[in-house]
Amino acid sequence: MSDTRLQRLYPWFTASSLLVGILVVVGFYRDRFREWKVWQRDYIRQETARATTPQEKDAARRIPVAIKQIVLPEVQRVDRCVTCHVAVDDPSYSGLPQPVSYHPNHDQHPFDKFGCTICHQGQGFATTKQAAHGNVKHWDRPMLPMLQIEASCAKCHHPADLPQAPKLTRGHALFQELGCIGCHKLHGRGGAIGPELDKVGAKHSPQWLTMHFKDPAAVSPGSAMPPVIVEEADIQALTLYMMSLTGEQLTEYHVSMKTIPGPRVGRQLFEEKGCVGCHKVGGKGGDVGPPIDDVATRRDAEWIVAHFRDPQALSPGTVMPKFDLTEHEIRALTEFLLSLTDPGIVGYIKIPTWMTPVERGKSVFGKYGCAGCHGRDGQGGVPNPNAKTAEQIPSLKYAAEGYTDTELRSRILNGQHEITPMDTERPPPPLYMPGWNGKIAAGEMDDLVAYIKSLLPEGDDLDF
Amino acid sequence: MLTRTWRKFCSSRIGRSIFRVGLPGSDLERARVGVSSFLLHIQPVKVQSRSLKFRTTFGLGLILLYLFLILIVTGVLLMFYYVPSPELAYRSMKDLEFVVTAGMLLRNMHRWAAHLMVLGVVLHMCRVFYTGAYKPPREFNWVIGVVLFLLTLGLSFTGYLLPWDQLAFWAITVGANISSYAPFVGEKVRFVLLGGNVVGPSALLRFYVLHVVLLPAGMAFLVAIHLWRVRKDGGLARPAEPDLIEEEFAEFELPPEKTYGLMELARGSSAAVGTAQEDTVFSWPHLVFREILLLMLTVAGVLVLAIFWNAPLEEFANPAHPPNPAKAPWYFLGLQELVAHSAFWGGVVVPTLLLVALIMLPYIDTKPDGVGVWFSSQRKTAILIFSICLITMTVLTVIGSVFRGPNWDFTVPWHPNVEEH
Repeated sequence: MSDTRLQRLYPWFTASSLLVGILVVVGFYRDRFREWKVWQRDYIRQETARATTPQEKDAARRIPVAIKQIVLPEVQRVDRCVTCHVAVDDPSYSGLPQPVSYHPNHDQHPFDKFGCTICHQGQGFATTKQAAHGNVKHWDRPMLPMLQIEASCAKCHHPADLPQAPKLTRGHALFQELGCIGCHKLHGRGGAIGPELDKVGAKHSPQWLTMHFKDPAAVSPGSAMPPVIVEEADIQALTLYMMSLTGEQLTEYHVSMKTIPGPRVGRQLFEEKGCVGCHKVGGKGGDVGPPIDDVATRRDAEWIVAHFRDPQALSPGTVMPKFDLTEHEIRALTEFLLSLTDPGIVGYIKIPTWMTPVERGKSVFGKYGCAGCHGRDGQGGVPNPNAKTAEQIPSLKYAAEGYTDTELRSRILNGQHEITPMDTERPPPPLYMPGWNGKIAAGEMDDLVAYIKSLLPEGDDLDF
Repeated sequence: MLTRTWRKFCSSRIGRSIFRVGLPGSDLERARVGVSSFLLHIQPVKVQSRSLKFRTTFGLGLILLYLFLILIVTGVLLMFYYVPSPELAYRSMKDLEFVVTAGMLLRNMHRWAAHLMVLGVVLHMCRVFYTGAYKPPREFNWVIGVVLFLLTLGLSFTGYLLPWDQLAFWAITVGANISSYAPFVGEKVRFVLLGGNVVGPSALLRFYVLHVVLLPAGMAFLVAIHLWRVRKDGGLARPAEPDLIEEEFAEFELPPEKTYGLMELARGSSAAVGTAQEDTVFSWPHLVFREILLLMLTVAGVLVLAIFWNAPLEEFANPAHPPNPAKAPWYFLGLQELVAHSAFWGGVVVPTLLLVALIMLPYIDTKPDGVGVWFSSQRKTAILIFSICLITMTVLTVIGSVFRGPNWDFTVPWHPNVEEH
């Protein structure tokens, strides 16, 4: 009796054993045939085909099929992109289709130090195309399209000091010009009307950012921000600059690259170190040393660098002191000096003492982002819904007539938090004048007031 | 052929030293297999054929044991790759998925087996309740079972944090907050559990140690006692049939060839040595074969889940970005649902009452009626009360899992907003 009952179990045994066996095989099969192996085998095939001698062929055949990775513990990255992109460092693969293709530009960003995802983003951990390129759920940094790759440069480089990334540089310039920091804080400086922008690129997608510039309230309901009215290309440039603001901290090593020259850093140094005390530029400056704007016609970069290092060695008896400059600073200054042959650049040099109060005031106006609300040159016209002043921020042109110096100062320092509404039923106007007390320095205030008063159109003195 | 080779090996010196009896051919040898092997410590020489019927238990206890074993094996293998430090923990999840051979399979098996175990413990508890199997002499084994239930939840909960992704981080944050509603000690419990006031690296380390050392050790210890008690309490609970046994005992004659004697001491009328005319069969092969079969099916079930469904892994944990809604692990969603209505009642009173009631159950309901029978008509009140509690918790858990959207507002799973999250 009991034996027949037992025998009824036998088919179950067979079936369950087969099932477990098949499942284990399926489980491992899916594991064994990963897509990166296809590309590595493809690479080995190409290597074998290219080999000319038997020894080379043998060596090619013995290339192991294995995960390859660039480990960068100091930036919390493990980039396994090279598992599929096996030939990134082999120039003979240039121009071949991805993923087995060459990647130029090794010298500036050595791959073993930078990996891939610092610039390209995406998911370095992954070894499948979809996951690695970041087009999967739960990975919020997909690969940057090449059109937007410049956004990554700003992780290390200063966006204004990067001729290789023109869109980023343009975006940064627009950001200054449009006075965005009048409302938004960035790197600890700026107004408090809008949100901080230090990590805006990590928070929002490029699409969101673009939409937001065109119509802020459409993607961020209730936003007080007026639409940014610039050309489409400039919207893209601004978006790119926002994308670059990720707040990501890279290491000393990576960041040190950004102080390597760039005429912009050189110009800053030139302005700060007071070179014009002795040298003339554009006809202005001291007479102790020779005029310096034509130095590029007289000397080459090597000479200038050596001269900064030790002036006596090249010009015995010169009075030029040996400045305590770092090697990076010397190279930056040299780059700047060589660019001085361009008269446009000379016009841009801002030595505060050379400027009139109105000129300085204009730069103060730019520095604090006043243009964000008051418009470029204070011409007004930025929409402020339901404000009694024609639902716009009024022009500053006639401020000189309506206010005394003292009144103007107090208005800037204290701000005006309540804006009179046009219609008390509707929501109050979103934009207001913040108080700048403690932010704008006293000297700056003098210049700013001078600038605002200068806005009064000449001969337009209405004289009530 | 195979059998002959096996027999030959068993009769060799080495074979005998390992198996003692070899492949048993006679009842005597079958008995000797039971007595002389380690298995005796877990199961008797003979078992009631009633116990072998699938519908008696649905094999739930054994399935749980196997799931626990699967969890230990996969868990130990996962430990080779896992580092309990936030950055590295998350990275080791990625390594398992993208680099380690069969790493994802391993993690999936561990994850699904863990969920199945929570579910299985509840079902096992229902089985024991609805068959009245907690009644004397098995009262204390029920209490151990309740503790095992809590340990299972604890193991699952501590394991939940280890991937250190958004899902883990916020589920544990919510779960730990529920624990802090307990009066007087709640905040302290949470502090001790997390090693701080918020979920952070020290919480990860504590959860890890609890998950891989303390809780499994406690679990293994109690499982051993739990099984040993099942055996000592006379196997599975079954209806007492005193009249039948006495009647048959009168007619029963000791078979002349029966030479084996007392092999164990067990309480109750179940082992019934000397009244052997019961419907019993030898554990080898009848029980052992079924046990192996169930093991195969359990492994197969877990493998199917692990091959076709991946364990979730969201973004790296970001304490500044709570998902909306942040949900506890699913088995705590009934509680979270209650807490959403009232922190005090849902977080303190109800769970405490339920737990006390569960532990006290065998000491309150001591009537020996309906033991070993599914839904005995003699236990209508008890079954009604238990069922109401069970259904309520199930409904609350389902509501909490599926019908709660952003801000814990009521939503339906097919609502498009749910997809977005």
